[in-house]
Amino acid sequence: MPDTFESDVSLRVSNVTKRFGEFTAVEDLSFDVRAGRIFGFLGPNGAGKTTTIRMIVGITAPDEGSIALFGEHISYDLQNRIGYLPEERGLYKKLKVVDQLRYFAELKGVSGSAAEKKIDFWLERMGLGEWKKSKTTDLSKGMQQKIQFISTVLHDPDLLILDEPFSGLDPVNVEFMIDVLSEFRTKQKTVIFSTHLMETAERLCHDIILINKSKKVIGGSLREVKESYGTNLIAFRGNGAERVLGDRSMVEKVVSHADEQELHLPDGVDPQRVLSALLESGASVSKFEITEPSLNDIFIEKVMNA
Amino acid sequence: MRKFLAIVKHEYKKVVLKWSFLIGTLLLPALALVFTFVPMIIFSLRGEPTRIAVYDPSGKILSRLEKNLSTDRLMEKAKKAAVDSLTQVDASQEEKMRNNAAQFMQDFNLIPYEASGGTEAARTDLLSKIQRGEIDAYLLIPQDIEAKDATFEFRSRKGGDFISNDTLKDALNEAVRSQRLADANISEERLSELSAAANIDAKGIDESGEEKDSGGVLIASFVIGLMIYITLAIYGQQILGAVVEEKETRIAEILFSSARPFELMMGKLVGVGLAGLTQLGIWVGTVALLLGFIALQTDLSAMLSSVPTITPLMVLYFLIFFLLGFFIYASIFALIGSMVTTVQEGGQFAFPPIMIMLAAFYFCFAVIRDPNSTLSFWVTLAPFLAPITMPVRILAETPPFWQIALSIIVNIGAIAGLVWVAARVYRVGMLMYGKRATIPEVWKWIRQA
Repeated sequence: MPDTFESDVSLRVSNVTKRFGEFTAVEDLSFDVRAGRIFGFLGPNGAGKTTTIRMIVGITAPDEGSIALFGEHISYDLQNRIGYLPEERGLYKKLKVVDQLRYFAELKGVSGSAAEKKIDFWLERMGLGEWKKSKTTDLSKGMQQKIQFISTVLHDPDLLILDEPFSGLDPVNVEFMIDVLSEFRTKQKTVIFSTHLMETAERLCHDIILINKSKKVIGGSLREVKESYGTNLIAFRGNGAERVLGDRSMVEKVVSHADEQELHLPDGVDPQRVLSALLESGASVSKFEITEPSLNDIFIEKVMNA
Repeated sequence: MRKFLAIVKHEYKKVVLKWSFLIGTLLLPALALVFTFVPMIIFSLRGEPTRIAVYDPSGKILSRLEKNLSTDRLMEKAKKAAVDSLTQVDASQEEKMRNNAAQFMQDFNLIPYEASGGTEAARTDLLSKIQRGEIDAYLLIPQDIEAKDATFEFRSRKGGDFISNDTLKDALNEAVRSQRLADANISEERLSELSAAANIDAKGIDESGEEKDSGGVLIASFVIGLMIYITLAIYGQQILGAVVEEKETRIAEILFSSARPFELMMGKLVGVGLAGLTQLGIWVGTVALLLGFIALQTDLSAMLSSVPTITPLMVLYFLIFFLLGFFIYASIFALIGSMVTTVQEGGQFAFPPIMIMLAAFYFCFAVIRDPNSTLSFWVTLAPFLAPITMPVRILAETPPFWQIALSIIVNIGAIAGLVWVAARVYRVGMLMYGKRATIPEVWKWIRQA
């Protein structure tokens, strides 16, 4: 890791370890998040995602290592530049929507007419304009989620951290949220979100990190990650290929799907050689496509087989 | 600092702009009025006059009894009882009830009963009259009232009417006594002259040597103690509820990513504390206005002289001790709130601090009785107790300044310690979901930085 802080790195986590008594929640974790990118923080439940995020937003401090935000060591003063949507989130039950948002904005240093304008803008944007004076208890769960989201973006943060933002949202609202996030990216803001939904991550993220059992498993741009896995995976459909598919020197593993098969080739085996062997053996091939693995595959491979 | 003020404002508004605040502010004075006047009204609801058949073979008692139970005499007694009940603050609950009751007159309808068959026949006949509902009670006066074993037999179907029974007993006693005196040729006037009670003029003296009426002081001290106790209990619970809500709804995590936990906790304490002060202020202001208004309307110098002088310095002391108490108990409740997962669970843990408050309130009685005893000195110095007992002591008899100052210092020290501990527990506890923290866990959070 270079010592200098490049201007496009908004967050740098360096060798961070966090323990709770005997239990190590995060161990020697390092990664960079670049500005204007959407960063996926992936891992199974209990991997240490929330603990890491809490350290980034300054709720807890790392036992070892350091975290730098926008080139500075993390401090309370930087909290105003972060918008954080926790996984476990809620609203005051008996407070009006506008009062809650006003309070959350004030805690992030935005008050007065600036806050009012932002509140109105976001409520309209989310289609909740008429609910401004309602109490939380009058809102549906989905509406509450939107209000919570508004409270994280009201102060126009430079870094948005969303912990499982899509859990509990219906597909329409998920799409809506994705739109908003993409907009943030185009404004050169940084978005970090944690999820265990690999399909969503695959659609949205430029960069990812996958952690498991408190350690980093793999990280980098989506492309890099896939390429490091994808050269030996073939989507195959055809008949009479049993002999070649059974040859362990050419095909390591066959996974059957509904109407096609996924062939895992051993390292160093050229897909072209497999194809010609298939054709020579007289098999009829209707599909032979070199594919890259889905994030889901990588996740399962790295996590389940770890 | 801006964030801290935002938190204070938020917490203050959350309490004050609720209906319950308005209702509570109005309700407590209303309740106080109700508890003062309703028992008076209920006791004053007079039943039917009690019809008593009196069999008096001696022929000497009945006329005296009638005189003693006459409306004029009863009025006189009721007035005396009313005065007694006001001045005897330290009387037992039962005595107070009796005194209150005695303020209300009873009607008696005495029916002379003549019988030729002697006491036995009279009893049988009167019993059957009671059973038929013709009379409510009978009184059999013995032939020889001088005899040592002379017994007056009173039977009533309204046995539970202790007010009537007491009144009758007193009247009968008096009648018999005066008859005995008359029989012994002692003039009643002479006797009452001789046995008149010494007239004791009892008044307290304050520091400057000014006399003050002890009755008024006692009541006022008691009211102050009660008011502080109630306000502390209410606002302590308010803190508990607010903390648990933020934990339960997971708002804490958003808050913690926006401001320092210490700021959040202190902001909450200060905001809710100010709300409590507002309510106390409204109460004190109303009472002052009301007294002022009454004083302007009527000449109440007599009544006002029994209300102890409350100087502005005393008011300042009350506010200081209220705030000391508030921060002591509020930090305990904040600590409890961050340990538990639901308000119900919090309620169980709130029991010990409430018990301490209650103990402090009970110590007030000891302080009122003897504000200068060693016990009073210690309970007005001790943290937890002083915020409730010291204002009472200041009003009852203002202690030397150094004792007040020492008590303030001791309690500020206690607050510093408690806030320090509570902040540590709060910081960790607020983010612990799912289960209640155990005492060893909490102890660990306190020890580790």
